Amino acid sequence: MSLLFRYKVEPVPHAVLSLGGRWSRPRPIISVSVIGPTSTRPIDGRLDTGADDTIFPERFAALIGVDLTGAPRGQATTADMTPVSVRYAHVALRLTDGVEYREWPAWVGFSPKIHRPLFGFAGFLQFFTAAFHGDREQVELTVNSLYPGT
Amino acid sequence: MNTDSKRLEPPDLSHYEENRSKFPPEELLKYAGKFVAFSPDGTRIVASGDSWEGLDAALEAAGIHFSQVVSAYLEPGEVSCI
Repeated sequence: MSLLFRYKVEPVPHAVLSLGGRWSRPRPIISVSVIGPTSTRPIDGRLDTGADDTIFPERFAALIGVDLTGAPRGQATTADMTPVSVRYAHVALRLTDGVEYREWPAWVGFSPKIHRPLFGFAGFLQFFTAAFHGDREQVELTVNSLYPGT
Repeated sequence: MNTDSKRLEPPDLSHYEENRSKFPPEELLKYAGKFVAFSPDGTRIVASGDSWEGLDAALEAAGIHFSQVVSAYLEPGEVSCI
């Protein structure tokens, strides 16, 4: 059983030359609920096979009851090589395409520089086989043998 | 900010992906570069702000707990993501 998500087609105010002149960009953005000790925050983020970690805005940690005081720290670089600080915590992530529901524990990072969450390898893509169907503008996620959740 | 520590029942997101993927582009374009909150069924934007803090303030002003909507950042349309 797989979860199937349509790409989110985001409009742009000009024709995109590299996409044959269409006025939008399709992006593999899906909604994930990040679950902490006291609350949950559903948020759209981007599936990113180039991201090593799964990263959320730092602000969300306190809101869901995650105390980052003393949390393991790390450094990351964004796509433009800007260095950002990351603090790691153990949370649960929940995902649905409306048909199938999945929830699993994960180590994720929280960073003050992140606007849109990134669903990268650690904590997310390590647990799925992901097929990006460029022609259909859909992404299909199938749990793999490492998947630790329900 | 609404930081009520009582955990609320999660919203029904079973129709979110389907409706969000069909959200009117012309409506989304109005929020390019903004932080927004979609209704759980993905059919409406219920609050917006210029930052995550601004969005959360708008949600609180509207009496909406952050756990009951889907938060999102909408990229500015004029730039591509690489």
